[in-house]
Amino acid sequence: MKITDEVRISDNGFVFNSKTGDSFNLNPTGLELIKLIAEGKDFNAIRDIFLARYDMEELRFEKDFYEFCALIKHHQITTVENPLDFK
Amino acid sequence: MEKIKYEKPVINKISAGVPSKFGLPVKQKIISDIDGIKVSTLMEKYGSPLFVISERTIREVFAEAKRAFETRYPKVQFAWSYKTNYMDAVCSIYHDEGSWAEVVSGFEFEKALSNGVNGSQIIFNGPDKSETDLTMAIEHNACIHIDHFDELYLLIEISRKINKKARVAIRVNLDAGIYPIWDRFGFNYENGDAWNAINRIMLAENLELIGLHTHIGTYIMVSSAYAIAASKLANLYMAVHRKFDYWLKYIDLGGGFASKNTLKGAYMPGTETCPSFDEYAEAISNALISSEIPHENLPVLFLETGRALIDDAGFLLTTVLANKRLNSGRRSTVIDAGVNLLFTSFWYNLGVYPSKEMSGGAEESTIYGPLCMNIDVVRDAIVFPHVNTGDQLVIERVGAYNMTQSMQFITYRPNMVLIDMEGKTHIIRKKESLETFKQQELNPKR
Repeated sequence: MKITDEVRISDNGFVFNSKTGDSFNLNPTGLELIKLIAEGKDFNAIRDIFLARYDMEELRFEKDFYEFCALIKHHQITTVENPLDFK
Repeated sequence: MEKIKYEKPVINKISAGVPSKFGLPVKQKIISDIDGIKVSTLMEKYGSPLFVISERTIREVFAEAKRAFETRYPKVQFAWSYKTNYMDAVCSIYHDEGSWAEVVSGFEFEKALSNGVNGSQIIFNGPDKSETDLTMAIEHNACIHIDHFDELYLLIEISRKINKKARVAIRVNLDAGIYPIWDRFGFNYENGDAWNAINRIMLAENLELIGLHTHIGTYIMVSSAYAIAASKLANLYMAVHRKFDYWLKYIDLGGGFASKNTLKGAYMPGTETCPSFDEYAEAISNALISSEIPHENLPVLFLETGRALIDDAGFLLTTVLANKRLNSGRRSTVIDAGVNLLFTSFWYNLGVYPSKEMSGGAEESTIYGPLCMNIDVVRDAIVFPHVNTGDQLVIERVGAYNMTQSMQFITYRPNMVLIDMEGKTHIIRKKESLETFKQQELNPKR
């Protein structure tokens, strides 16, 4: 998963996608998550960081992570890989 | 190191140009208890989903309606509309408050009798009255509201056969200045059918015409329509007196007062737009009092309002089963109460609220019921907080129709619970089980 080149993320949680013209707001955890994704970290690495930092259960994070990923993919913030390329 | 409180990661698209023009509250409303009993306690004890009805609300709303009419008109009689909610426990409260019964079938008639209502205090409406039903109604001295000429002639026949007078009124349909005009029930005022029916009844030996009835529609949002209807019935009332030197006993304006639910497609919430009981009462009372009926001969005003009296008293408690992202990116939530329990969700945007404070933001969502049917949509678009599996929600204003029109389909119908004036809970209809169906079904041996 890769953040699209046209997307800019500010430190206060504002996201602008120049490809679509859409802008977004992130809450603090959303901002933290998208920054880790932008750094190229995979799910396992991000989960470990969140579990160490936040009072939460592993499964809860997994659910929220994948929902968040589906949303940023929907908003074309991340590059859409071929969904039918069943690697 | 102490861990930080976790909040679900959220991303919201910024949409310009759609502010809330009316400054409607954006703070999420929460219903954590009903009449002082915690939602979680009710669900723990009686399961989920769960219908809950508040006796306190029933009595308070009834008192409000009664005050609105009785302070404006000298003779008022409410009749509880059985079809709106005919749970015995509910009907008994209205009868205890002095309401007669308004029924629309032989089944409802029998239910009213079994609730201890005197037959002479039952108003029998509706297009479906069999010979057996009409005979029962005549025997019990009920007020039979005739719907069509075939019923009128059947009544003449039956009353001759059993040699007993039937106390009747006619249902009148009329143009009250609103759309749609309901013309399928009763006799039309404008084309003279109603007057013809009155004349025929006055000539019939065994029929005693005692009143005039109309029911102009449902969820009527303009009180002035009732003023028009009342004036037209007042004209007929006076015409009967002039021709037959006879005073009828009552004028029945039916029901149709809007509850505070919001209709689908409405721009503003029902709480802001629906007339109050005072407005309906003002319109109706003024029309009757200022008509040419002499004050000493004013008829009793009958009211059969159902929806506006009971909607606020009913709640449906439900549990979140799952959250899903649809392909469109829209969030959707699946709950364990579907449209089989919420008939009114087809025309209302029902209020669905969490039972506790939710962290994180709200997002436009769709709320689905649990049925494996595409039509099972409780709310197609609602700004809703991020609820989780197992969270308990409350759907408000479901007292009218949903309990009696709830349908057994795919799963069992749930418990229905009444919270009495002392805050005690009582099951008023038991949750169904396989046994419920086995009792009714027959499987031929092969």
